[in-house]
Amino acid sequence: MNSNKGSGYLRIFSVILIMLLMAPVVFAQQRQITGKVTDAADGSSLPGVNVFIKGTTRGVITDLSGNYTIPVNPGDDTLAFSYVGYQPQAVLIDDKTEINIQLKVEAEAINEVVVIGYGTVKKSDLSGSVSSLKSADITKITSQNPVQSLSGKVAGIHVTSSSGAPGASPVVRIRGVGTFNNSSPIYVVDGVILDDISFLNSEDIASVEVLKDASATAIYGSRGANGVIIVTTKSGQAGTAKPQFSFDAEYSIQQVERKIDLLNGRQFATIYNEIQPGRFNNVDLVPNTNWQDLIFHTAPLQNYQFSVSGATKVNHYYVGIGYYGQEGIIDKSLYQRLSLRFNNTYNLTDHITFGNNITIVPFKQRNAPNVTYAAYRAQPVFTPYNQDGSYAEVENVGNPLADLHYSHNFNKGVRGVGNIYGQAVIFKILTLKSSFGVDANMERPLNFTPAFHVSPQQENVLSDLSKGLNQRFSWLWENTVTLQKTFDQHSINAVAGYTMQRYSSEIINLPGENLIRDQSQFWYVSPSNIYDPSNGVNTIQDIFDGVDNNLYYSMISYLFRANYTYKQRYILTFTYRRDGSSKFASGNRYGDFPSGAIAWNVSREPFMDNLEFISNLKIRASYGLIGNEKIQYLERYNQVDQSLLAVFGINESANSAATFGRSGNPGLHWENTKQADVGVEIGALKNKLTGEFDYYHRKTNDILIALQIPAILGNGGDKKSFNAAQVLNSGFEYKVEWRDRIGDFNYSVGLVGSTVHNEVLAIGGSSGSDSVLIGGFLGNGIPVTQSRVGLPIGAFYGYETNGIFQSQPELDSYPHLSNAGVGDLRFVNTNHDKVLDGKDRTYIGSPIPDVIFGLNITGEYKGFDLALDFQGQYGNKIFNAKEVVRPDPYNFEAHVFDRWTGPGTSTTEPRPSFGGYNYIPSDRFIQDGSYLRLRTFVLGYSLPASLLAKMPIDRLRIYLKGTNLYTLTQFTGYSPDIASSDVISNGIDSGTYPVTRLYSIGLNISF
Amino acid sequence: MKKIRYTITAFLLVLILLPGCEDFLNTELQGNLTQETFPTTAGDALLANNAVYASLREWNYNSGGYPILDIMSDDARKGSNTNDQVANLGPYNNFTITTTQDGLDRWWTNLYQGIKRANVVINIVSTIDMDTTLRNRYVAEARFLRGLFYFDLVRAWGEVPVITSENPPVHVPKSPVDDVYSLIRSDLNYAVTHLPLRSEYQGNDIGRATKGAAKSLLAKVYLFDHDFVNAGKYALEVINSDEYGLEPVFTDANGVNGEHGTESVFEVGALEVSGGGGPGNQYANTQGVRGTPNRGWGFNRPSLDLRNSFESGDPRLKGTIIDLGDTIDGIKILGDGPTPDELRDSQGNLIEVECYSRKVWMPGTSTIEEWGYNRRIIRYADVLLMAAEALNENDKPGQALIYLNKVRERARQGNTQILPDITETNKDSLRDIILEERRHELAMEGQRFWDLVRTGKAQDVLGPLGYTSKYETLPIPQNEIDISQGSLVQNPNWQ
Repeated sequence: MNSNKGSGYLRIFSVILIMLLMAPVVFAQQRQITGKVTDAADGSSLPGVNVFIKGTTRGVITDLSGNYTIPVNPGDDTLAFSYVGYQPQAVLIDDKTEINIQLKVEAEAINEVVVIGYGTVKKSDLSGSVSSLKSADITKITSQNPVQSLSGKVAGIHVTSSSGAPGASPVVRIRGVGTFNNSSPIYVVDGVILDDISFLNSEDIASVEVLKDASATAIYGSRGANGVIIVTTKSGQAGTAKPQFSFDAEYSIQQVERKIDLLNGRQFATIYNEIQPGRFNNVDLVPNTNWQDLIFHTAPLQNYQFSVSGATKVNHYYVGIGYYGQEGIIDKSLYQRLSLRFNNTYNLTDHITFGNNITIVPFKQRNAPNVTYAAYRAQPVFTPYNQDGSYAEVENVGNPLADLHYSHNFNKGVRGVGNIYGQAVIFKILTLKSSFGVDANMERPLNFTPAFHVSPQQENVLSDLSKGLNQRFSWLWENTVTLQKTFDQHSINAVAGYTMQRYSSEIINLPGENLIRDQSQFWYVSPSNIYDPSNGVNTIQDIFDGVDNNLYYSMISYLFRANYTYKQRYILTFTYRRDGSSKFASGNRYGDFPSGAIAWNVSREPFMDNLEFISNLKIRASYGLIGNEKIQYLERYNQVDQSLLAVFGINESANSAATFGRSGNPGLHWENTKQADVGVEIGALKNKLTGEFDYYHRKTNDILIALQIPAILGNGGDKKSFNAAQVLNSGFEYKVEWRDRIGDFNYSVGLVGSTVHNEVLAIGGSSGSDSVLIGGFLGNGIPVTQSRVGLPIGAFYGYETNGIFQSQPELDSYPHLSNAGVGDLRFVNTNHDKVLDGKDRTYIGSPIPDVIFGLNITGEYKGFDLALDFQGQYGNKIFNAKEVVRPDPYNFEAHVFDRWTGPGTSTTEPRPSFGGYNYIPSDRFIQDGSYLRLRTFVLGYSLPASLLAKMPIDRLRIYLKGTNLYTLTQFTGYSPDIASSDVISNGIDSGTYPVTRLYSIGLNISF
Repeated sequence: MKKIRYTITAFLLVLILLPGCEDFLNTELQGNLTQETFPTTAGDALLANNAVYASLREWNYNSGGYPILDIMSDDARKGSNTNDQVANLGPYNNFTITTTQDGLDRWWTNLYQGIKRANVVINIVSTIDMDTTLRNRYVAEARFLRGLFYFDLVRAWGEVPVITSENPPVHVPKSPVDDVYSLIRSDLNYAVTHLPLRSEYQGNDIGRATKGAAKSLLAKVYLFDHDFVNAGKYALEVINSDEYGLEPVFTDANGVNGEHGTESVFEVGALEVSGGGGPGNQYANTQGVRGTPNRGWGFNRPSLDLRNSFESGDPRLKGTIIDLGDTIDGIKILGDGPTPDELRDSQGNLIEVECYSRKVWMPGTSTIEEWGYNRRIIRYADVLLMAAEALNENDKPGQALIYLNKVRERARQGNTQILPDITETNKDSLRDIILEERRHELAMEGQRFWDLVRTGKAQDVLGPLGYTSKYETLPIPQNEIDISQGSLVQNPNWQ
């Protein structure tokens, strides 16, 4: 093991050394070519056109008059011209000394270059299903995590931020919920493979590509099963010899979008008196506290960014500094981040390039305790403060204001993500590339609670401190060779390579009790704060040092892709990847993931020349196998539980104990997804109208899932992992866009969306386990989801209701649970037997939406720009769990006031009670999670060029922005965005930090 | 120059094209042993042995978490406030449980986990090269505990799978009740032979299984099997060993002053530390006074029937029941606001009074002290009453009365006006008297329900509460039946 580690590092070191020692540029006889580039339509000169020697990195830019001069070496044979918005051209050099070119306008869609794994391809040559977003779309959404900007813009992606807390991560799904374990896509940032992009500054991003079908994701074989999101950060723009500066500033105010309708003091007292008569003598005189008003307030959010970039013949650079600071609408929550980015490419010679993309992100986060749940449940008849100003007792839930006051929870850290690479072009058609990427994260969580006493249920006898040190480190070494050859009508692009990756991590936690003082300068653990359990406090038990079980593994992969295009019309792609993971025992380590795709650019066929109004038509289809192994690394080991204790002795003391613990499964192997995709891309009326439609069908097999095993095996309720489930996701994706101009007014309207049909095909089976996966455990231990064959993952399960028992005879005539009474809910006897029991529970809704859509409207007129984004989903249900768990008398939602008080008074709202029968999980608590939201509204104005010509400023834009302005929904909670990364406990609202509405003002300057 | 450049590029190419190494994918489990390498040393043997005791302190060991045995009996009702756990515990109160009832799966799982931990010691530690006496003692402790676990299984569910390997096959069918008892007896006999007397343990080993504990448990096993000859034999051996006695103060028998005291035959040690997985035990916290002082959740509320059954003046009433307004250890009991002080039915009859079990009281005002409560699994008073019962059944009423009256003498606390000695010698009458004495002495300690079932009195006494003969055994947890894919069959009375 050690020797191999050594040889691996030696290899890396020698590669780097060699790249640095490469011979300098070879000098040879040179001549020059000059010329002028003009617009073919009107003969006007085109400045800023890229003129370069094909197959090398040497190039120049045309000047303001469209003229250029470029030195040429012997052996250079083709001069190429490219310019955004125009068709590229290439001309053989031969003996020419002057080459003039007229460039023709090209509709953007076809010549767009799309980043796919390990390379780029023209959109027209693409055979897979890939969606792209450019920088402007990404910066439109103000958010700490750039993945938020994909929501409603990219077909097939579903982004839910169920918590509005600063620093909270959204849940991202592409094409449904793929598996029972981790259903999130992976991110590739400048070649570094990551599991999240929360550290990334949106302003640093040049483009985002979402790879969705098997053909596109297969190159990431082992991890691509849930989709791949490729992020490319900005680099210096060629042709801009002088440095470009850019400054962006945005200031926003956040507020809670809506509050939950709860009973006020008087209403609550009325209801209480009906349940326990005599509690309140005069309901008109009870206090009325609106706890939600007390915990929410408006909060600012600031986002500043400064960057400088440029390109010379030898060096392209981009340096950016950004600051993001968000205070939360609840006290004691905030997130601050500083992003430093250095991107460089350095052309050592014509054929050899080095580069780096490095970002360093220090951050600080404060987390508030879950006071929204306390504010929801707290009785309105309690006041927050006593006469003397101290915190008043709030029975059963504790005083939320005291919770906030005594809570101190921080997380500070630094994350660094970077990549350095070296690339050499040899024999003109081969490119060798070696790149080394690193993701390093160090966090220091801290939690301190002082000693306090508000009431016997809300007190802390001794102050306690918990300090952690979490570090994660991963490195990725990738080596590829790419072949690019065009001859006659044939074009081949192939890439082959191998990669190695290792993740390691360590989590250390130190607890302390009874600190000598409460101030932050004393928040350190010392021997006097660590208590042996026999002293009555349990701190030694909480000392922890171990790895993060999700981040301790290695991978080796071999990859290959070949893309063949004939006549620019017929495209064939074949991809193959072989991955080995340390998470599986030897013999099961490797998985093979092949895939293939074909595409046909119908619009380039001669017979399509007559159909003028169709500017683009492409049909494509793909099929392939992709894998997933996102389980904890220890699933295959039979572990020994070393954390047990036995208490013996007259002077009782805790003795260490250890025995067989959780059973592992050494037979675990790769999970795989078979995905088929058929798609059509259409452009009409010179691409004013564009559309892209896909049908996808993905079946995930051998899903790695933790299942219950018989208790007689002595595993104590611990589950064991098996490859034992199968899930289907299928549906349609669509994107339709109309882009046109009326005089000086440019506008576009785009509709993007997808449908998802999610179904469990198999669970358990021969693995000796049950065929139902129960999940969604509420605070009282009662489960509300059952994933079973034929239903979606995480389907809700409970009683159906149909009315209320209005009278005793009605109650007697209908099968009911033993504790049902008149005025209570009537549960449906779904199996039509004589008894109402647990077997009558049934499927009552799915947390996965059927349809997801976004509507994006933009307009631009004489320097004004307007953008309107709508977003929505339909068909998903939310389980209102916060209303169900009621061991004590809590406040009620407003609808409870319409309660049943006698025959005929209500058919939906039962007689009031603090808990019990009417709060058994049923469809009473299932709410419609469909919504339509005005996500963003942006109005901006850019100063005209004439005004700017006098100043050294290239561009100045000011804008007003509103985010999450209005949500149309039936859901009574804060926001219908409820999702969880735990797929079998999805869509359950147990009290969330609300997503906020923002009002922003901002400024963009470049100079 | 070109040549150098090309050779270097070629070298780069070769370097790049070399494949990675297989060993790179071998990772070891970090920070933890695997079952293939443990236990192997004498130190490991001690750790494995201690681990079996750890099961006793888990919340689920106590009949699945909640004291369902007392709640099913006529001694107690659900407790806590009106709505708390109504769906989960209410059915135990009024005999409407189903095969999916909450808690049964937790109890079943905990017992089999304890059995596996015992099997690790019995099968593997017995092969470790170490001091033979110590090794035999470890194995004997594990066999005692395995006997304890199977005793709970067979009393609760009747026929159950018998697992004696630490790596059993996935599907094991149930064994007949006699086979289970046979295993229990052979385990306890081994334990009797190889365990030391309580007085032979060092101070910091107190709490481990002893010869006396094994004999007491064996006596109880024989009692449940209706073998009164052997029951009496073992009970008398314990009594005559002079290792145990009765606490002078009744409340000390279960209280903090009697921890590891003269009356304690087998006890679960615990530290005052909250949190599952730690050195505390949540057993007492589950039943502790609810509200003010905040000692716990308040489940297992002593019933009116139990209260009224005590003989006039019996101090054990106050030693069993905490009422609102009492002052204990200087702490005034005010109770829980939302819980009604008195619960009446629709005709106005009193059905429940807010009160709590005194048996789990630890001095203090918060929940933390309750976590340090040491649950008494077997105490000497129980041994005396078992001896009395067995001797009566063996037609030796005179001897039976000696032991019976010892218990009453302690209960009297020196007051000669109350609890007169029993002099009845008629077998049937004395049987009923002893059963009643067991009720008053051992109330709220999880004994009453099974005492009624084994003596055949359950239908008469609990019938009015809803008891039917199907409750002689509990249903095997339904999801265990489902997972077993046919090899585990539900109890016939629950199908």
